[in-house]
Amino acid sequence: MRRIFYLVQKEFRQVFRDKSMIGILFVVPFIQLVLLGNAITTEVKHVRVLLGDRDGTPMSRAFLQSFRGSEYIDVVGQESDEGAIARALDRGDASVAVVLPRHFQRDVLRGERPAVQVLADGIDGNSAGVALGYVSGIAAQYQARLLSDDPALGRQLLDLRRVQAEPRFWFNPDLQSKVYVVPGIVALLLLIITVFLTSMGIVREKEIGTLEQLMVTPIRATQLILGKIIPFSILGMLEIAIAMGLVYVLFGIGVEGSLLLLFAESGLFILTTLGVGIFISTISETQQQALFVGWFFMIFAILLSGFFIPIANMPETVQYLTYLNPMRYFMVILREIYLKGSSLPHLLNETLAMLIFGVTVFSAAVWRYRVKLG
Amino acid sequence: MRRRTLAILRKEFIHILRDWRSLLIIILMPILMIVLYGYAITMDMRDIRFSVIDDARTPESRALVQAFSENGFFRLVPGPITHEDIPERFQRRDIHLVLVIPSEYSRDLAREHSTRVQLIIDASDNNVGTFVNNYSEQVLAGVMREMNGRAPLLFDIAPRIFYNPDMRSTNFFVPGLVALILMLISALLTSIAITREKETGTMEQILVSPVRPLEIVIGKVLPYVLLGLLNAGVILLSASVLFDVPIRGSLLLLGLLSLMFVFVALSFGLLFSTVARTQQIAMFMTLMATILPTIMLSGFIFPIASMPAVLRWISQALPATYYLTIVRGIMLKGIGLAELSTHALVLLGMGALLLLIATKRFQLRLE
Repeated sequence: MRRIFYLVQKEFRQVFRDKSMIGILFVVPFIQLVLLGNAITTEVKHVRVLLGDRDGTPMSRAFLQSFRGSEYIDVVGQESDEGAIARALDRGDASVAVVLPRHFQRDVLRGERPAVQVLADGIDGNSAGVALGYVSGIAAQYQARLLSDDPALGRQLLDLRRVQAEPRFWFNPDLQSKVYVVPGIVALLLLIITVFLTSMGIVREKEIGTLEQLMVTPIRATQLILGKIIPFSILGMLEIAIAMGLVYVLFGIGVEGSLLLLFAESGLFILTTLGVGIFISTISETQQQALFVGWFFMIFAILLSGFFIPIANMPETVQYLTYLNPMRYFMVILREIYLKGSSLPHLLNETLAMLIFGVTVFSAAVWRYRVKLG
Repeated sequence: MRRRTLAILRKEFIHILRDWRSLLIIILMPILMIVLYGYAITMDMRDIRFSVIDDARTPESRALVQAFSENGFFRLVPGPITHEDIPERFQRRDIHLVLVIPSEYSRDLAREHSTRVQLIIDASDNNVGTFVNNYSEQVLAGVMREMNGRAPLLFDIAPRIFYNPDMRSTNFFVPGLVALILMLISALLTSIAITREKETGTMEQILVSPVRPLEIVIGKVLPYVLLGLLNAGVILLSASVLFDVPIRGSLLLLGLLSLMFVFVALSFGLLFSTVARTQQIAMFMTLMATILPTIMLSGFIFPIASMPAVLRWISQALPATYYLTIVRGIMLKGIGLAELSTHALVLLGMGALLLLIATKRFQLRLE
């Protein structure tokens, strides 16, 4: 027991001796939190739109006027020539162009349903889809205004029956992406820090030769590992506490559910990531290798966690692959507790999966360690 | 000069080849990433599970439920559900939408030609919320066309999608992946390669030899330029073979401008290596200062235009932002130097500036 205590003390000294390490642990992650929390947004705003009017009537002008003054759309100019529009899309000056055809007003009044042309840059398919949605929305609003202003027009549509949707958005009524993304970033930062800290920390001792010195002391493998785990779990818990405070202060996002449960689950998650970190350190000879294996693990852990790509969207085989990812479970747990205030019974599967993963990876790590020592 | 540079170059290559684990990862990771990204990344939702509270129980309400469950967007989870169950069901995450059809649904439709349905959506993921809402609008538009024989519209919207008509996400992500991997390999490897020599003490040995600083830098950096370009080639090849991502513009121009980007990334790595004392710190610095911003702020996934003004400015200072426009422009739009000259010049300027600072700092430390 005393031995472990000394090891923990040594580890803390090692971390805090290095000023840049303190910066890396306590300053950089929170700068990242602020930056990413604002950057990662699946909302689409400021779509650059060109407006083209080939009709030039009061109706066409009024229609195009309704595109101005929306926070989602920035009107960047007037252009109805197709060649010029194509060049603007090429240069990236605009990403959408709305062009009203000749005789727009006449055809609307005659009930001939003219076609409004919408030309869009489809490279970012997701944003393009949302932008098209905005255009349809503005068009629908304009139509509603036309109908209420001109009852004669309404007669065209009088016999048509309509079904209207009344959406209710639960847990996130304004559909803000930060509410969903920011808790995920906390998990992300925790993963990066704990995996790198353990894996590189241990390999570093190997590289410099201090690990051999530890091995000739009477410290046992389990004690050695505990001496690494305890300080890093404490650091990890500290990180998450600070991160949650910042999330509340900066983004106004509080925890709906039980804080105690959140901390307990975080502790479990940190154990799995530390296990991964130690395992990586046992299969790497140099810090560079540890870094690469760690990076490799994290890219997939993040990609397959549902952080920004919903797992339900993935092909089935890839979905099965995500079951091997501890991050996947923690991402669900964190978001559910944060947003819905879910309690343990609803998160039991995820918790158990994380526990199994943690125990397995830890046993593997200790076993590899013993092999190396013996 | 040339002999000494060559010697360092050879030494660095031996270092790279001897460490087969790292090499394997450097070569395998891009391929695996592209396969996974190619298959896994799609923002379109399919099979969104929903349940129904049908208080009307009329032929019209049953037709509405049918329309929702038959279009590929939604999948009906059968079984009775009440309003009180909804929070519990959303917490169990087995449904994302509850369609509530009020008892007066058919009556209103017949008398007033207008009726309402309520959509209760688990919008904790705002993206899911948006998709469910948009899809529901599409389903309802179809239902109305069916009932009326025409759309209740005064004019039609005719969209025409340029460059990526099927709006495939691979076409969007793969060019971005080229930028990301070039940045990763070039900046990270260089910074680590130099700090490693410092940490293990071999740097001092090189310094007492008659090799000049510039020769060290060139000898250290060149192997990673080659590795980076090899990687870019592998990514582009697998992208076009596996996912049919087109390269519409000039391949030569793409190669040249990629080389320029690698040059910027390497200068970054070099600069970090002059600041950091240990590999661990070099790695963290590169990770936090180049790779994460490249993923998050360059427009790789998240649209720059949607970010707050401050972040838009930061993204303007990132080399990857310019390179991304270049790669996507050449590959998907087929544009050339005429449209991209500003971007190329900015990259060149950034690279020159960074390299100048890095070599200055490098020399300072040596003296």
